[in-house]
Amino acid sequence: MSKIKKLLALVMALAMVLSLAACGGSDTSSDTSTDDTSTTEDSTDDTEEAADTEEEAEDTTEETSGDATASGDVISLTVWGAEEDQTLLAELVAGFEEAYADYATFDIQIGVESESTAKDTILTDIEAAADVFAFADDQLADLVNADALQSIDALNDALVAYTGKSVEDIEAANGAGSVAAATMNDTLYAFPMGGGNNYFLYYDSSVLSEEDVASWDSLLAAAEAAGKQVGMTLSSGWYNASFFIGAGFTTSLNGDGTTSIDWNGTSSLGYTGVDVVKSMLNIASNSAFMAIADGDISNQIASGSLCAAVSGTWDAEAAQAAFGDGYAATKLPTFTCAGDQVQQGCYSGFKLIGVNAYSQNAGWAALLAEYLTNEESQTARFEARQLAPTNTNAAANEAVSANIAIAASSAQDVYGVVQSVGGKFWDPTATFGEMIAQQTLDVNDDDAIQAALDELVVGVTAAVD
Amino acid sequence: MNKLKSGFGAVGRFFADFGHAIADGDIFVKLSLVWFGAGYLGRKQYIKAIIMTALEALIIAYTVLVGIPYISDFGTLGTVQQESVFNPVTMQNEFNDYDNSFMILLFSVVTLVVWAFTIYIWMYNVKNVYRLQKDQEHGKHVNNFREDLNDYINQKFYIVLLALPIAGVVIFTVVPLIIMIFVAFTNYDQNHMPPSALFDWVGLDNFINLFGGGGMTVSFGYAFVRVLGWTLVWSFFATLTTYFGGILMALLVNGKTTMWKSMWRVLFMITIAVPQFVSLLLVRNFFADNGIMNTILQNIGLTGFLQDIGLISGNYIPFLTAPGWAHVMIIIINIWIGVPYQMLIANGVLMNIPSEQLESASIDGANSWQTFWNITMPYVFSVTGPALVTDFVKNINNFNVIYLLTSNFYTTTDQAMANSQAKETDLLVTWLFTLTQDYYNYKMAATIGIVIFVICAVFTLVAFNRVVARTGEGDFA
Repeated sequence: MSKIKKLLALVMALAMVLSLAACGGSDTSSDTSTDDTSTTEDSTDDTEEAADTEEEAEDTTEETSGDATASGDVISLTVWGAEEDQTLLAELVAGFEEAYADYATFDIQIGVESESTAKDTILTDIEAAADVFAFADDQLADLVNADALQSIDALNDALVAYTGKSVEDIEAANGAGSVAAATMNDTLYAFPMGGGNNYFLYYDSSVLSEEDVASWDSLLAAAEAAGKQVGMTLSSGWYNASFFIGAGFTTSLNGDGTTSIDWNGTSSLGYTGVDVVKSMLNIASNSAFMAIADGDISNQIASGSLCAAVSGTWDAEAAQAAFGDGYAATKLPTFTCAGDQVQQGCYSGFKLIGVNAYSQNAGWAALLAEYLTNEESQTARFEARQLAPTNTNAAANEAVSANIAIAASSAQDVYGVVQSVGGKFWDPTATFGEMIAQQTLDVNDDDAIQAALDELVVGVTAAVD
Repeated sequence: MNKLKSGFGAVGRFFADFGHAIADGDIFVKLSLVWFGAGYLGRKQYIKAIIMTALEALIIAYTVLVGIPYISDFGTLGTVQQESVFNPVTMQNEFNDYDNSFMILLFSVVTLVVWAFTIYIWMYNVKNVYRLQKDQEHGKHVNNFREDLNDYINQKFYIVLLALPIAGVVIFTVVPLIIMIFVAFTNYDQNHMPPSALFDWVGLDNFINLFGGGGMTVSFGYAFVRVLGWTLVWSFFATLTTYFGGILMALLVNGKTTMWKSMWRVLFMITIAVPQFVSLLLVRNFFADNGIMNTILQNIGLTGFLQDIGLISGNYIPFLTAPGWAHVMIIIINIWIGVPYQMLIANGVLMNIPSEQLESASIDGANSWQTFWNITMPYVFSVTGPALVTDFVKNINNFNVIYLLTSNFYTTTDQAMANSQAKETDLLVTWLFTLTQDYYNYKMAATIGIVIFVICAVFTLVAFNRVVARTGEGDFA
């Protein structure tokens, strides 16, 4: 009995000491990050990293013994990219290390972080986040408001010194939309990496002709005649805004994170919000129209009951499989609004690479981000992942325009606007779209539609609390 | 009540003993008020003296180096905003010496806990060395270090056993809890996110806003009342249906005429073996608007019938996408998920019902219905009554079922709800998750968290008192 007790006591004591040691460890690491602010430490496994870099440094000095030109410092960087980007990222990083081998030795860690969730992970602990990370442009505003993104403008001197390109050169090399998406408060906050993150119309050309897909009216009529349906997601602000954008309505993001929206008024093209809602209700009430839940569109395309669907490049394979030889894609149709044919717009989304404002080596991190988004890298990314380049030279590549989905995406991009909305935009607009999908609004009741639009505007413009 | 009194009595005695020790102690005892090790040194317990002195030095070092710098900013939660300038020569950002509100809050709380611990140690230490003085005066044996250690694995073994759990509770539960409570009184949100921005104390503003005092979205109070209402309705039905469902199932499986009892038991247990989120996501897809269930119902014509009598407007049944439908479906799906657990518990209880009672009932001519209501149910209830209360509280916070069945799936058509990021099927806890996860609204999350805690605590106290008083827990012997 007493032996067991002794053993237990020993285990307890060990566990205590270990846990105390663990706590002590984390204490000191957060200490350094807050007290010693000239160098912002990265993460709790700093010591490991430091050990790694020391080892690496020894390795490299052994390799390059006799070559005294390399500066002694090892620059540690962490870069986060999407899961499916990892192989490509490793190749590009190797290329970067080689290109800048004359200036410094690098120790670059590559981590997995989806572009769509990067913001959440980064804002949880900015100081522990990667130096360089890929993210979708709709997260830019939140990241800038939290001061998580390094202003690229402020790094102009470093970029000129090492790459020979000024910020203006970089802005000129990429499409205007992508630069606008990476800009906030007249400051460039990230490097455009890829575009094509919008939606357009996939259709089955064995069922629908090119004339049919020109307008919603002819599209739905042809679909009904063929006994098929046309699918689109309405219960998401990202999709249903396309009607309002087409009619000339706007959204904008204010400095305090709130959103401005004019959907309950009259647009620059002279249409009222009520006109647009009526058009949407008319489309949604057509029996050939299928309102699809957000995120369910791939399944619906695969189910075979659709002859056309509004979606983006990510569904290219699903559409190809479902439509077979008839697989085709084009810009979105026009819709009837107050008697006119109005071209449906869209939000153009971009993928960006940003630099952490708390990066210990912000300059080098920016050079890496620049390298990962330059013309060659974008071409490589298109070849590996079919991501539409934002770099105008890379986009001029023949292979790019030969891709049906990407070609449709860039055709639609002409009518696209940059998605400048804050966090409060999404829930009210999703609900509004669902109300249209479920026909809870009466197409003849202008007052009720106006009231619903007013309520929508109240929700979207609410203060960020 | 007696327990409460004895609790206060123990605390009172602790302080009284401390007073006696100071008043009657010798020079070493009095000296140990400022030097922890003094009392042990006086009794020639050198190792203990060193340990206590080292502990004191450690606490003082922590207080001076970490505690005071942070706690002096506790009142303002920091004043220096972060600023940085890029230096092209070093290729690095140069930061000013900025404050991080969250770190200030964190280390202030840690420091307060350390200080509370220090005061306890300080008083306990004085009492302890006074006892040693008494022992010495009365000529009793004063333990040496080895004997003291031996004590800890013999008479005082419970201290050794409890040390780790208590340390764990303090570090991983108490400290985070205190921090979260403090956050409810700050404006820690998307616009005040450390390290780039500072947050500040705002007093009771968050609670006032939550209960409709204005300032936030107009509909926040509107949404709160509805979410709270559904939370209570859900907890009530979810608890009751699975409870009685479980007992009924157990009775059926244990019934005298039931064949292959263990096979039935195993079959129902399999539901538990499949991870809950897998079954929930599968069920969610079954009942989707374009899911398998709707396809079947369309084919057999039920959907058309419901459409004809005006119960549904679309060409599908909105099982999980319309209010009302979704509420009922969630409760029904929860029965399927929850009943096996309750069955497992009820099974054990039923097998332990004294057979004499059942036999005498049947001799007296009671039918099975009477036996169930007058013998089985009271017995089961007396044993599982307290569990019923905890189940209710658990269901108030039943995140899994609601979140997995409705998140990104159910879109509300109530604009006022949507304007507050809520939907009709949200429980307080899932709404809290949306607010923090998608909107970084930590201050409101903490506030709602406190409200949930108060609701659960009040309910548990009242219900436990009632249930325990009525069933007379402990009377069954």
